[in-house]
Amino acid sequence: MITAEQKPLNEILDYISPYDRIILVGCNECVTVCAAGGRKEVGLLASALHLNFLKHGRTVEIKEITLERQCDPEYAEELVSEIDRTDAILSMACGCGVQTIAARYNEKPVFPAVNTKFMGASVSQGIWEEKCQGCGDCLLGITGGICPVARCSKHLLNGPCGGTSKGMCEIAPDVDCAWCLIWERLKALGMEKRYEEIMEAKDFRAAGGGGPRRIIRKDLSL
Amino acid sequence: MMNPTLIGNKKDEQMTFQNKLSKGDFVVLAEMNTPKGVDISDLVTNVRHLKSRIDAVVIPDMDNGVMHMSALAGGSIIRQQGLEPVIHIYGRDRNQMAIQGDMLAAHVLGIHNLLVVQGENIIHGDHQNAKPVDDLNELDLLDMVQSLVKGTDLAGFELKGRPQFFTGCRVQPIRDDNHLEKEIISARAKIDAGAQYIMVPPVFDIAWYTHILKQFTSLNVPVIATVFMLKNVGMARYLSINDPGSKLSEELITRIRKAKDRETECIHIAGEMIKELKAEVEGIMISASGWEDRLPAILDCAGL
Ligand code: SF4
Ligand code: SF4
Ligand code: SF4
Repeated sequence: MITAEQKPLNEILDYISPYDRIILVGCNECVTVCAAGGRKEVGLLASALHLNFLKHGRTVEIKEITLERQCDPEYAEELVSEIDRTDAILSMACGCGVQTIAARYNEKPVFPAVNTKFMGASVSQGIWEEKCQGCGDCLLGITGGICPVARCSKHLLNGPCGGTSKGMCEIAPDVDCAWCLIWERLKALGMEKRYEEIMEAKDFRAAGGGGPRRIIRKDLSL
Repeated sequence: MMNPTLIGNKKDEQMTFQNKLSKGDFVVLAEMNTPKGVDISDLVTNVRHLKSRIDAVVIPDMDNGVMHMSALAGGSIIRQQGLEPVIHIYGRDRNQMAIQGDMLAAHVLGIHNLLVVQGENIIHGDHQNAKPVDDLNELDLLDMVQSLVKGTDLAGFELKGRPQFFTGCRVQPIRDDNHLEKEIISARAKIDAGAQYIMVPPVFDIAWYTHILKQFTSLNVPVIATVFMLKNVGMARYLSINDPGSKLSEELITRIRKAKDRETECIHIAGEMIKELKAEVEGIMISASGWEDRLPAILDCAGL
């Protein structure tokens, strides 16, 4: 999923303080799972904003709405009935959601309330780690299900480097060395031979080197 | 402490390009690409033929996204031949560490003139699978040069010996007045960030060229106009279609097509353009795109 973290309150206030009526829009998917922008966080942020405005003697109307999936134009439509009664939109979805709303409601300013971080997974309660960089040409099939692009600090395709020590990466003692993990996993699978195959330099077109990427599914598009 | 001017090349006596521009003398530059390979004989021969007639040679770096010998080496070759180089710098292929390292290297190799440009998109080049870096944009690069010149790198660390540079910026090809307005704003920002001269890309319509040059000259830094040498009808047609800012007219294409000797006609077109522009700008840069051996003929035709 896509992970995110709430922006500092002051930055959010800087964006929205010129406005008197705001819609605060959450998203029910990724940002709900990583507890950054779901219904609950929408409620908490709205209270924090109210409190802050009150301290400065202001009452600002904040309409709380949480969409099923903010990056889906169909759900973005749900704001239509409210849009004329607002001055600005504050979105708690990831950047994809913010942009979907901005594209649909061209005439209203849209601000992000979270920093979109990375594609990751939860490793334990309250901890998410980066797992994939969307390189467009997945290598997990040959790297034992562990991604060297996202999880090796040097993005090495033929690792490890000299910095690996007791299974950890040289950048910090609490970061696993992806290439140690790859080696251990290939060994466990009896696929050590894979390790000897040299991987060629990546084609960065697939990773976005040639500009914004797009998927066109002829079978699905109208 | 060692005198910083003793570190690397002494700059001042070699900076005729900068001195001439600041004195208001008209400057003539020629663009020359480094080879794709290590055979530098054409480059050296062309430079020798032009040595007494131009003020500096502009060396693009991986122009149009095509892999060539780096501009740093090209600039150094130009210095060895006794001419002043101007090298392109851009952010597409190198991160801030690599670019800063190259800038320090440029100074000690006697390369003190820079032109900050925007790199062509990697997908239009010849190594489409390469990873674009784009660490620093044009404004960041200008800031970086300022910082190096003041003796500090981008991380805030002090340099041992300061490099000296004369740095220009380039504007984009301009389609219409609306676009011109935006480019003026962006050129102003570049000047504020330290650009000391502006290079304007080629235009083939003298009225439009004069119109846009007037706007840029009002920014109070020297303006250098690019004169691009057309080589044939195909190239002219390509530019007229793909570069709306070139304002290359159907009449000009017809003029080349109908000419008895098309090559000579192309030389005349470039020479005439230079004559027309001479009163409008502080200098010109001739881009002969591979026909550098015809540069002397263009200069003859322009009376330079
Ligand atoms: S907008 Fe889409 S991608 Fe972003 S958090 Fe919501 S569902 Fe996930
Ligand atoms: S190899 Fe590429 S697609 Fe696969 S997990 Fe790693 S970054 Fe993601
Ligand atoms: S120690 Fe391991 S994870 Fe870290 S950079 Fe080297 S190979 Fe990559």
